[in-house]
Amino acid sequence: MNAPDRYERFVVPEGTKKVSYERDTKIINAASFTIEREDHTIGNILRMQLHKDPNVLFAGYKLPHPLQYKIIIRIHTTSQSSPMQAYNQSINDLDKELDTLKSGFEAELLKFSKDY
Amino acid sequence: MEGASYARMPRVKIRELKDDYMKFELRDTDASVANALRRVMISEVPTIAIDLVEIEVNSSVLNDEFIAHRLGLIPLTSERAMAMRFSRDCDACDGDGQCEYCSVEFHLRVKCMTDQTLDVTSKDLYSSDHTVVPVDFSGGDPSSVESADGRGIIIVKLRRGQELRLRAIARKGIGKDHAKWSPAATVTFMYEPEIHINEDLMESLSLEEKKEWIDSSPTRVFDIDPVTQQVSVVDAEAYSYDDEVIKKAEAMGKPGLVEITAKQDSFIFTVESTGAVKASQLLLNAIEIVKQKLDAVRLSEDTVEADDQFGELGAHMRGG
Repeated sequence: MNAPDRYERFVVPEGTKKVSYERDTKIINAASFTIEREDHTIGNILRMQLHKDPNVLFAGYKLPHPLQYKIIIRIHTTSQSSPMQAYNQSINDLDKELDTLKSGFEAELLKFSKDY
Repeated sequence: MEGASYARMPRVKIRELKDDYMKFELRDTDASVANALRRVMISEVPTIAIDLVEIEVNSSVLNDEFIAHRLGLIPLTSERAMAMRFSRDCDACDGDGQCEYCSVEFHLRVKCMTDQTLDVTSKDLYSSDHTVVPVDFSGGDPSSVESADGRGIIIVKLRRGQELRLRAIARKGIGKDHAKWSPAATVTFMYEPEIHINEDLMESLSLEEKKEWIDSSPTRVFDIDPVTQQVSVVDAEAYSYDDEVIKKAEAMGKPGLVEITAKQDSFIFTVESTGAVKASQLLLNAIEIVKQKLDAVRLSEDTVEADDQFGELGAHMRGG
């Protein structure tokens, strides 16, 4: 009867931003990114990718509540970098990794269907 | 201000490939990426499934909503799904979701005229689009359940005089919305195990003890050579991380007899598809979806600008 629409779990409501950014008020080079309608799929790959960056001192994500369809990623970097730079870098790197994976799999698929 | 790249170069190797089944190795990446792919394959790769049913006549023993639910669960060939539109953001039909860009229409008209029970199956569904039809399993394995009579998926059974007439609209959707849209039957991955037997300790066991130890594993991971009486690993991947052989070795007073570690950067995936998309295509679609999701979480220009202003302000506040 008063159940919310199922698509509310993955469609960003109108007037809401997908990603919002908030600087830490006390620590320089620390910030939180709130990402609407995303979950562990994106949260965990970004976190793990951020850990590869030596300029990132801290990177973590949380899903505050299972019925609030958003995640919060917190990044703290050295003065050599900034949370925004590290965040963008991690997305670019993951994108590159997936490109490698895709072309690798396509080549393998071609090879496999030939042998068959 | 582009920093160094920390992108990895993952490798894949296909072990087994069928239309609805695939087993492959994924190396040089970490569990977060493997898990993202698994999660996306299950709940975010789109398929097409019946979503709206208008029943004209139903004198069968099943009620209308029961039949509508069963129709929804029938897998439909969904190669088109990636390029199709979601009804909710289709501008060609003002969101009522009944146009050719975002939906496919099906008709079903069956009446039983004989004394024999009539099976109404997925083959009685007539599609308005020949690329979107109920999945046909009969071409595959002859031992499968339904190829015995090759008659599709049973929807309902009719006796003499009973009739079913309906119109159904199939739409694009994802498994997160409803499991009927999930293209995956199962997707699993495991860490590749690395097993080292301590040969010196192993040689201190008698033949009986060796056999007893091998039998303590619930799956057949180890075997013994009948001639040399040497214990070897026959199938490392049969090991299910149950620790039984390790406990057994300790109980026998030989701790460290075997050392088993999970390789943190190597995974063995198994993908089973419902038939809506091929297993290989399912992985390719999943990679594409993860890429799209990453693209969607990129920072927008106005967020960056707002921060630049705030940054100056912040610098003032900090006395910079």
